Amino acid sequence: MEDILRLRGINKAFPGVKALTDVDLTIRKGEVHALVGENGAGKSTLMKIISGAYKKDSGTVWFDGKEVENTTPKQSEQMGISIIYQELNLIERVSVAENVFIGRYPLRGGLVQWGKMVKDAQALFDEYELKIDAKRLVRSLTMAQKQMVEIIKAVSINAKVIIMDEPTSSLSGKETESLFRIIEKLKANGVAVVFITHRLDEIFAICDRMTVLRDGHYVGEKNISEITKSEMIAMMIGRELTQQYPERHNEIGEVTLEVKNISDGGKHVDNVSFAAHRGEVLGFYGLVGAGRTETMRMVFGVDPRVGGQVFLHGKEINLKNPRDAIRHGIGFITENRRDEGLFLRSSVRVNTVMVALHKILKHGMISYKEEARVSQDYVDKLRTATPSVNQKAMFLSGGNQQKVVLAKWLFSDSEVIIFDEPTRGIDVGARREIYQLINDLVAGGRTVVVVSSDMEEIMGISDRILVMYEGNIAGEVQKKDFSQSLITEYAVGERTQTV
Amino acid sequence: MKTKKASNIAAKVADKLGAWMLIILISVVMLFASDKFLTLDNLLNVVRQIAVVCIGAIGVSFVILGGGFDLSTGMIATFAGCNAAIFMKNLGWNMVIAIVVAVLIGVVIGTVNGTLITFLRIPPFICTLGMQYIVQGLIFVITKSVPITGLPDSFLVIGRGYIGDLIPVPMIIMLAFVILGHVLLKYTVFGRSVIAVGENETAAKLSGLNVNLIKVAMYSFCGFCVSCAGIVLASRLSSGQPASGADLSLQAIAAVYIGGTFKGSIINTLAGALVWGLMNNALNLMNVNAYWQKVALGIIIIVAVLFDTFRAKLATKSSD
Repeated sequence: MEDILRLRGINKAFPGVKALTDVDLTIRKGEVHALVGENGAGKSTLMKIISGAYKKDSGTVWFDGKEVENTTPKQSEQMGISIIYQELNLIERVSVAENVFIGRYPLRGGLVQWGKMVKDAQALFDEYELKIDAKRLVRSLTMAQKQMVEIIKAVSINAKVIIMDEPTSSLSGKETESLFRIIEKLKANGVAVVFITHRLDEIFAICDRMTVLRDGHYVGEKNISEITKSEMIAMMIGRELTQQYPERHNEIGEVTLEVKNISDGGKHVDNVSFAAHRGEVLGFYGLVGAGRTETMRMVFGVDPRVGGQVFLHGKEINLKNPRDAIRHGIGFITENRRDEGLFLRSSVRVNTVMVALHKILKHGMISYKEEARVSQDYVDKLRTATPSVNQKAMFLSGGNQQKVVLAKWLFSDSEVIIFDEPTRGIDVGARREIYQLINDLVAGGRTVVVVSSDMEEIMGISDRILVMYEGNIAGEVQKKDFSQSLITEYAVGERTQTV
Repeated sequence: MKTKKASNIAAKVADKLGAWMLIILISVVMLFASDKFLTLDNLLNVVRQIAVVCIGAIGVSFVILGGGFDLSTGMIATFAGCNAAIFMKNLGWNMVIAIVVAVLIGVVIGTVNGTLITFLRIPPFICTLGMQYIVQGLIFVITKSVPITGLPDSFLVIGRGYIGDLIPVPMIIMLAFVILGHVLLKYTVFGRSVIAVGENETAAKLSGLNVNLIKVAMYSFCGFCVSCAGIVLASRLSSGQPASGADLSLQAIAAVYIGGTFKGSIINTLAGALVWGLMNNALNLMNVNAYWQKVALGIIIIVAVLFDTFRAKLATKSSD
């Protein structure tokens, strides 16, 4: 079969990170090609280079037999490459037909021919046997139907390659089946589909061939008919564990935080239970979308829970909002430091005391002297690199910003500290410092829960790892049993443990 | 390098001074333009004129710092003035009780604003626009659109009196409010929380602040300040004037923006109000036609905010 899209030796670096190194990808006409890899393997970066959202640093791209240089997203689309992101790109308040023909409305004398547009759109939906009325507003459709609209939009611009980024992550079993029927139809019409997923079953159900990426490197290309699941997992893992983790001297004590059957009604989290101990680093691993962050947000009282209980030292606590969690000594360092953790335009000192303002009051008034003393104290203790405590948080580097966030939880006497992606966007040197700080916390008898999508990190800093898969705890791994293959098997749903 | 250093210092000075630079600029120009400008009488007159706007603007500052907006303040002020007048004149209430009740009504209206905005998630602009008309309607209902005159002399002292024949009473009240606002903002958990909510509501919530309560409270406090401003205004006009505060909402907002209060100090609001008053005064002294005065004041608002953006940019650059 003929190749429609061929990439050779693609390289891409971001400041501080090499995202892709010599990556190859070959997509044939009319095939369904799976792109597989763990979190951070480089799948999204590669897709964005194909779609024109990113520019490659080096490498060659051939499309339909011709070499193409860097293109803009618009040019890629005109060439015949469509990409359907997880976050769909539709305009909710207008009709299905308008979304399909957006920017390409049929015109006569400068006026939009509404009748023709609706008729053309409807014809496409009929051709694909989709029961969607082209006159309906997009916002009245289900998630699955919206996805169909995106696919039809791609079809209407004669896309030759359609890239679908985890298209089934928000679909039910039945909806997934109908998506597969459409994919079969696209295939029959000669359209190639690049299918990004972490559900191995789906790869076997629908894909012809696959390419595996690991840490931004090309691992290999296989025909699905010639590979087993365990071979597939073996290709995905096998990352080199290069980084040294600082030594830890902690003593694991009694249970501090215990969560029983917490649930958000099955949206992202379904009856999750776990217990964390004094002096322990409990790791949460899982693929993106497994429900780890959502679990922690409920434990911290940010998002409402549908069921379940949270205990501290064996006593149930009533959690209605973050204030309740903070009062009971829980701290939460979010994955999104800049938007959720910091007041960027405020100074280091203001950020440091924000959670425990009551501690710097003198006669009911804020004591600026006390504020300066406390924040300087934490700057010294955590070795935060800042010219002074008056520096605005936005001028600090990622690692130092993280230290400021940590300082505010330390100052508020948090006994249990939850880190969600503690080193995201932090360079290697500063990472080690964060790991050292986590060690100091557990050595001092605090409980630390770490959510991380980085296999190396989670194995390097946890005393015990819980692996989540699709809203459930798939398995628990003790430190002596840590292995990439075991953790990955839990993370992709190939193995479950009855806890 | 030397010039760079000098420009850095200049940028820092400009950043620190803010709206006070405009005040200095206007004063220097007027020093040469008119010999009537730098007289105690004239300057006290300016302060007397800005007192009402400044008192109201203290409340508006909290709302704007907290990420909100309030268009209804002028009407809340007028309502308080008319209510107090009616309570004293028509119902024969004691002056203090009349004022307290009138101000409390203003606090309630502010609280209603805050509740609608916070819990029913109505955009502040729309909510307070609606509230402005509701209150205006109520004013016409209770006054039948007729000014309420014949208020007791003791009441008129608030807006027209002098201490020792020199210091205007409204100036004292204004300074009291500036100090109150400054202390609240700088030294209390409430003030700190308002700034936090205004800067990043999500982070504020995740830091355990009671975001909803803070948002309601800042509108309540705004209602309190503007109602007090309304009382001073009624006293200055010796009557409850149903149409008196129409322009107050926007003047207060202008004072907050001209002053650059978002940098986190209530003193800036005072500066903003002073710029407004001095500019009016300067144009009067130079016999500028009243219609053109409006044009000039409009330009001042835009220039002041432009100037602030420019200053912020310079400050960011120089601290890199």
